[in-house]
Amino acid sequence: MTQPHAPARKEEGRPHERTIKRIFLMPAVIYLLLLSVFPMLWSLSISFTDYQRGAIRTAVDVGGDVSAGAPAGAETPTGQGLRLTLRNYERMASDQRLHTAALNTLTYVIGGVLLQYVVGFLLALVLHQDFWGRNIARVIFLMPMMVTPVAAAYMGRMLFDSRLSPQAHLQRILSSLTGWEISIPWFGDGRWATLAIILIDSWQWIPFMTLLLLAGMQSIPEDIYEAARVDGASSFQILRKITFPLLLPISLTAILIRGLEIFKIIDIIVVTTGGGPGSATESLTMYIFRTALTFGNFSYAAAISYALLVLVILFATLFLMLGRRFARQSIS
Amino acid sequence: MRRKFWQRTLLYTVVVLWSIVCLFPFYWLFTTSFKTPLAVSRGPRYVPYVDFQPTGDHWRYLFNEQGRTLARHFRNSLIAATGATVAAVILGAMGGYGLARYRYHWRRFFNWRNDNIAFWIISQRFLPPALFVVPFLLLYSWLNLIDTHIGLIMAYTMFNVPFALWIMRDFFMNLPIELEESALVDGATPWQAFVRIVLPLSAPGLVSVAIFSFVFSWNEFLYALMLTNYEAITLPVLIAGQNNTRGIQWWYISALTLTAVAPVVLIGLALERYIIRGLTAGAIKG
Repeated sequence: MTQPHAPARKEEGRPHERTIKRIFLMPAVIYLLLLSVFPMLWSLSISFTDYQRGAIRTAVDVGGDVSAGAPAGAETPTGQGLRLTLRNYERMASDQRLHTAALNTLTYVIGGVLLQYVVGFLLALVLHQDFWGRNIARVIFLMPMMVTPVAAAYMGRMLFDSRLSPQAHLQRILSSLTGWEISIPWFGDGRWATLAIILIDSWQWIPFMTLLLLAGMQSIPEDIYEAARVDGASSFQILRKITFPLLLPISLTAILIRGLEIFKIIDIIVVTTGGGPGSATESLTMYIFRTALTFGNFSYAAAISYALLVLVILFATLFLMLGRRFARQSIS
Repeated sequence: MRRKFWQRTLLYTVVVLWSIVCLFPFYWLFTTSFKTPLAVSRGPRYVPYVDFQPTGDHWRYLFNEQGRTLARHFRNSLIAATGATVAAVILGAMGGYGLARYRYHWRRFFNWRNDNIAFWIISQRFLPPALFVVPFLLLYSWLNLIDTHIGLIMAYTMFNVPFALWIMRDFFMNLPIELEESALVDGATPWQAFVRIVLPLSAPGLVSVAIFSFVFSWNEFLYALMLTNYEAITLPVLIAGQNNTRGIQWWYISALTLTAVAPVVLIGLALERYIIRGLTAGAIKG
């Protein structure tokens, strides 16, 4: 990391300076230690015990479809005490519902990131052009990003309703054009519902990709393009050999940020499908939430949340490794 | 640069199409909030006065009959978001300034220096919130913080601080150091230099951070759902809760959703510049 203005004051200054530099940084650090590091460690220790409680009622019913399979081990009596045990981790191996949730989460992450990057990149290319109305377009493109995800989910749910939304007309037109009966059961079928959730998330976050990539494009010096054009490069060659490689670092950052954010997905799912049909669209975060609040199995929820953390770290590491290798190849 | 006709056409087609994709859901929400239940359930209607008769009933119901409830939840959201924003801006600006201007070396703690500390702090932003479901439930019920404003503010501050600190650090590192140094020469204490000279110069950065913190907190769902159950429920939870009461009343939900979304969308429209600056400062140089 570069530091344009390297810290000027000496580390071992007067005792007064040692105090003042602590005063600046320590509040934030102590806050994070108390509310982030300590809870995390606590949660880790809970995951090795057998701690269960009664269900907790929330304002929104996310209990959903209990018949889709209570977490394995929900039958264990409560109050087993705080003996150390590995059973929460063993349980994960045979928990089908957990596997579904993990797979769904990965689908959301990979599908969402790909779609958002591709469309975001194309839109950034468009906004990078000089045209009348560009500033207005930029503001309009930004709007979905500000919306509360819960609200975006309701908008999506309305617009993916094949009877009440304009889709009813679209489907009728398509059906009469092609001769086939076209009717998409958006939220009635697990796969379509997954796609709908990815589309809603993408509607909201494509602007993020667009704005980041646009800023990246604007920071590429104009003379590189000039030189390429003088050498007779076509627009497509410029895009492939200059714009894309030079944008790779920021692309990797943007994709990583979005990927890590999608790992947290819960609100869109709660509003649109409630995890259903069955548990076909349930995400890991949602499953953890239900395990803790609806089924009252705190230890198992803590264990799964650590599994999620491992998954997130694996994703980030793997992605950065592959990304760096790809970047090296495409530049050389 | 002159462009060919077909290129210009393609450009505008894409811009117009995507603008429709962005705006149509808002339009649909807006018109639905004026439709009678019958006009909603009989298939899509597009234009008021043309294919349906608008009615203001749902808005009246929302602001009269439901007015008190709405006001309470709106106030909850406002308090939680404002409190978390103020806390995050203060902690973030101080920490970011420390990391930008002083040299830290935690000998007893992995031998960390500035960059390690900064990376550790920003990594907190990307931890899955699910990790905190269990410990926060236990901690909050132990401290009696469930369903309180202060509880929400504490949780939101926790995920706003890393981002605020990261952006402010970046901002301070690009700020010339000479002004502070001359203030120090003139006899100001480092704290005075920070408050009187650095902070006023950093207004744009502070605004970016404040907007982001506010919008994150305003839109937050998981913690709000977990840590509130009646008194302190925020707008996203209120909206999500419309799911299971007496079937879905799209017309009413539309009005409610628009009310909840309006403040942040207006902030976005008015302060678009700062948002883009915050985004790019966070990601490009990171």
